Amino acid sequence: MQRIVVERAGGVPVSRRAHVGAVASGNLEVLCEPAGAGARITVETSVDGYEPVWRATLERFLERNPIAATIEINDFGATPAMVSLRLEQALELAR
Amino acid sequence: MRGSTWARALLEAPCDAGGFPPSVAVCDGTIAGHAYRTVAIVPNPAARFPRARSGEFGLDEGLAVASAVRGAPAGAALISIVDVPGQAFGRREEAAGISLALAASVAAYVDERRHGRPLFSLIVGKAISGAFLAHGMQSGWIGALSDRDVEIHVMPAASVARVTRSSAAEVARVATVVPATARDIATFASFGAVDAIFDVADANAPEPNEIEAIRAAIDRAREAGLGIRAPLERLDGPQAARRALAREVRARIDEAW
Amino acid sequence: MTPALLRRSYVEATPRERIEALADTGSFREILDPFERCSSPYLAEQNIVAQRDDGVVIGRARLAGRDVAAIAVDGRFLGGSIGEIGGAKIARALERAGEGAFLLLDTGGIRLQEANLGLLAIAEICDAVFALRERAPVVAVIAGSVGCYGGMSIVAALCSHIIMSRVGRFGLNGPEVIEQEAGIGELDARDRPAIWRATGGIRRVEQGHADTLAGDDLDELAGALRAAFAAEPNRERLSLERLRRCFAQEAPA
Repeated sequence: MQRIVVERAGGVPVSRRAHVGAVASGNLEVLCEPAGAGARITVETSVDGYEPVWRATLERFLERNPIAATIEINDFGATPAMVSLRLEQALELAR
Repeated sequence: MRGSTWARALLEAPCDAGGFPPSVAVCDGTIAGHAYRTVAIVPNPAARFPRARSGEFGLDEGLAVASAVRGAPAGAALISIVDVPGQAFGRREEAAGISLALAASVAAYVDERRHGRPLFSLIVGKAISGAFLAHGMQSGWIGALSDRDVEIHVMPAASVARVTRSSAAEVARVATVVPATARDIATFASFGAVDAIFDVADANAPEPNEIEAIRAAIDRAREAGLGIRAPLERLDGPQAARRALAREVRARIDEAW
Repeated sequence: MTPALLRRSYVEATPRERIEALADTGSFREILDPFERCSSPYLAEQNIVAQRDDGVVIGRARLAGRDVAAIAVDGRFLGGSIGEIGGAKIARALERAGEGAFLLLDTGGIRLQEANLGLLAIAEICDAVFALRERAPVVAVIAGSVGCYGGMSIVAALCSHIIMSRVGRFGLNGPEVIEQEAGIGELDARDRPAIWRATGGIRRVEQGHADTLAGDDLDELAGALRAAFAAEPNRERLSLERLRRCFAQEAPA
């Protein structure tokens, strides 16, 4: 089990909460809530050893989408592409 | 034949209530002047369904228990004697719809209890999964023997390691940190699920003083009206300290409903 | 009959989408949603990440105007297995239900990782279904890819009405478990046609074990659900006479 936290200052708050996905093999659950300032993404994953990949994926997402939000990810071995997809879906609902 | 031994011993009566298959022992008798019927599942090597010959709760057992429960003499309380290794695992059972056999048994117990018939259970051996759900878990009062063959779980121990793809050692470790996965009666009782545990010298050979202690406990429980308690009533009360999370969930739902 | 391209699949829908599609439009209000963070504390120890709704979605909804409890088990999380929290959600929703309840059961039964707490929860759920159905419809829908197995199949059998789709399966022990416990000679878990022939929706409705057969179609299932609520409850499903006849047909010659 591994926990990874990625933060980024600044950003525009999202409008509402959003929830997508499920904790199934190759999948992940994303909970997105508005925050006053800054983005904080906390990942809980049962697949250890991919911290650099997580950081790269999440930092890229925040670079492209400078939001202020609290995002919780519960992961069961999703690929970076799936992670990005779920984050995009969550953002779409949270705008 | 531990089940039928206790079914007879508790009532000091033969299990000769007629019309039941050899795998279901049904005895009628009294405790302290009040009428009871005991029901136990026992092995039947000649059972017509090959996957239900070692004391499993199968198709015929579901029908027989339901029948024994609904047909108990008027005013008699019921005592489920529980020693079942699990439900019957077989293709015929699945094709026939064994879920309904178990449900028929549950429905009989719940219906009778809700109409005022007190239900008691005595776990004398294994109490596994669907078999225990169908025979014993709906009782208002549940007692158990303190014996190493007494175990409560949802799957045989060997299967747990296989299914979770872990080792026996890991399964044992998890049982110490997640008590819900432990199999012993004391841990199960810590969830408020068992009302009394009785020490016995030999669970296969009940002694008169042991039988007397259990009979007295059942009589007291009947006097106190415990036999008609529903499962959810167990959640409130000091013995259910370990069910705090379930209580919290219920309270939060009530607030939001 | 809806053209195939326009059909919305129940199998492909999420539990929340299923509830939204089956209930009166816009009537569903979820209770203890994932943001309440009521999830299992027992899984991290077993190297499993918990899903925030514990794999069970509950809430209030309207069905043809009736105020009902909506319950859906999420088959994606740990095979839709029932643990302490999910079990408590189901039981309390049934107790709070006003004019009935519908249960979307995509579930393998008790969660092994929570064993006896799941077992206790299902005993409580059985009692709650029984109590509710004495005064209101309690309708099970078995139409997902996981099917309805284990202790939850007993719950389904206690309901006043069971709707299945051709995709759904209704049994006590899944094919893998049977093969594992009884050997491949008893059952080959890879023989999918045989499994559906024995435990699928078509067979169960034919046997009288389930009441209504629908396609994998949210609109069709919504119609079936309304019809089930309006219909008389099935008091014959657990009739001992009927079951005796059914079981006799499966006994070895």
